[in-house]
Amino acid sequence: MVDSRYARLRKLILATMILVPAIPFYIVMGIGYYYFTTSIENSTLTSMKRIVDDHRQMIDTFLGERRSDLEFVAQSYTFEDLADPACLYKVFNLLRKKSAAFVDLGVFNEEGIHVTYQGPYKLVGRDYGSEDWFKEVMKQGYYISDIFPGYRRVPHFIIAITRGDPGKRWVLRATIDTQFFTRLVEGVRIGRTGEAYILNDKGILQTQRRSGGDLMDLDADHAVGLTRQEGIKTFLKKSQKGDEFLYATTWLQDKNWLLVVRREEADAFRDVRVATVVIVIINGVVGVGIIAAAIYLTNSIVRRMQEIDSEKEQLGQQLVRASRLAELGEMAAGFAHEINNPLQIMTSEQALVDAIFSDMIRKGELKESQDLADLKDSMAQIKLQIGRCAKITQAILKFGRKSEPVSQDINLVGFIPETTGMIIKKASVNGIAVREEISDKTPVIRGDPSMLQQVLLNLYNNAMDAILEKHGTKGGELVIAAGPDQDGKAKIWITDNGVGISPENLKKIFSPFFTTKPVGHGTGLGLSVCYGIVESIGGAMEVSSQQGVGTTFTIRLPAAA
Amino acid sequence: MDKMKMMLVDDEERFLETTKKLLERKGYQVATALSGSEALDKLQKENIQVVILDVKMPGMDGMTTLKAIKNRHPLVEVIMLTGHATVESAVEGLKSGAADYLIKPTDIEDLIRKAEDAYAKRQVLEEKIRGAQARMVTKSSSEKLQETKK
Repeated sequence: MVDSRYARLRKLILATMILVPAIPFYIVMGIGYYYFTTSIENSTLTSMKRIVDDHRQMIDTFLGERRSDLEFVAQSYTFEDLADPACLYKVFNLLRKKSAAFVDLGVFNEEGIHVTYQGPYKLVGRDYGSEDWFKEVMKQGYYISDIFPGYRRVPHFIIAITRGDPGKRWVLRATIDTQFFTRLVEGVRIGRTGEAYILNDKGILQTQRRSGGDLMDLDADHAVGLTRQEGIKTFLKKSQKGDEFLYATTWLQDKNWLLVVRREEADAFRDVRVATVVIVIINGVVGVGIIAAAIYLTNSIVRRMQEIDSEKEQLGQQLVRASRLAELGEMAAGFAHEINNPLQIMTSEQALVDAIFSDMIRKGELKESQDLADLKDSMAQIKLQIGRCAKITQAILKFGRKSEPVSQDINLVGFIPETTGMIIKKASVNGIAVREEISDKTPVIRGDPSMLQQVLLNLYNNAMDAILEKHGTKGGELVIAAGPDQDGKAKIWITDNGVGISPENLKKIFSPFFTTKPVGHGTGLGLSVCYGIVESIGGAMEVSSQQGVGTTFTIRLPAAA
Repeated sequence: MDKMKMMLVDDEERFLETTKKLLERKGYQVATALSGSEALDKLQKENIQVVILDVKMPGMDGMTTLKAIKNRHPLVEVIMLTGHATVESAVEGLKSGAADYLIKPTDIEDLIRKAEDAYAKRQVLEEKIRGAQARMVTKSSSEKLQETKK
């Protein structure tokens, strides 16, 4: 019942002590974690989008500029002008001045015959009429090829435009060195794994990819679902190797090329991962800390409460015992007083009977006989037993006395030897060595000297009885010591080397009417009277004993103010 | 010397009867009273030297009776009979003029011894009083003598 109450209390305190700090802590951590990860993810995505957007614009601008360069040449010159190699040479040099990306320049007639060419190869006179690019440009009026390495292993692509009326159309074609923007693309580095590359609409790599994949290779990770969409797309996708990648893609304006910026998710969100791990560890450590502290505090609180409760209980028991003792004392005193009157009558009656017997014998009315002897013996026994009753009632009256004790200063240094002097003769007759160890520093106490004397004498007599029981009249030892105790109290302790007291008797030793002496030899009130006296002075009395070794009674008394 | 006459005062009738019988057997004159007022009445009428007075009685208690006796009959010796083992009540009695005290239950021998002591004390006192009175008489006659010389 009591245990379950403590268990419930313990649970309640423990839950409160864990939850009160833990809930706000974890809420704060959770909110912090959410905003931190969201902001990291946003900033990562934003930077990837920005890179994609910037690079798309640069490439678009580059492509647009090259196209308008060609448009400008076609506007400015006629087919006839450009069919002249000298003129084409001049124009090519002008273009090269504007952009070093131009590798060569050529003019084709409507049939696809290469009319003039300015560049590193001998291509004049070749027929391109059946080439895909030529058909395309004749159809669309404008064409940009995919990138190819070319003979010099430098990535190139071609731009071609048509001019002239139907039947007299001609084509101006330029080869562009893409290194200006491919380097730009290939040079993109974000974190450890961040990279950028360009794919055509069939998923063929148009630039080298750092993480593997040469020009013209198929991007296996990205080959599907390539349909042109406006704007920038961001998404997560698993590579064939199984790594998760974060993508930002956009289509170029003038050409069906897809600019891809990607980064391994683990790398992109590495900070988040680290933060997560740190947060989890902190949460774990703090959680364990909170629980450990809560358990420790709860245990000590519950233990303290148990201690207080048991102290309270003990105090209550002491109080009950003290008041019971007082009640018992009063009751016993009243009882003893009433018993004394009939005892007085019995004494008189017995005395009268004795006197009558004596008279009758003297007068010769009674003859000496066995019966008479028995009668006399019986009367003597009655007298003896009345005496015994009287002793008991007197002891009870002493125990339950109501009168106020005299209160005066007592110097124990002189008082104890004086009292000891009263028993020294009895002790020496019984062969008991009495030793006194009274410290000069023993504080002066306040109390009733005759009562304190009664206490000491009672203890001395008990000690001597115990010694006689063990040693007979040889080898007894009684030590009476006194000195200062803690809190300025005086301490008196009386040690004998007598028979000692058994543990179960030790518990009852101060109870009234408890005695181990044979019937008629003790009232069992001595120690309870002593106990009452010591308490009335404001002191305390204790006993410790070991059977067969001896007993020590300790009295602590408050010093006089 | 007069034979001592004592009076027992107690509210226990049987105690009075038996003790009276006992004391009379031993040759003492004994009166008894069941209460303080009865005791005072008898003191008026009879020549009683020693009173054995119970402290605790209904009505007029022992202490009040003691004071009344000492007030009206200062020469009567009173021995208090107390049920209390403590000395305090006895001390109070002694302060109020009691000659001695006895603790209940008391032996008849003790009672007789203390009564005799008290009686002896009273005898001494009476001797002194008689002596003083005699001196007064002697002195006055010598004074008369001196007066006649003048």
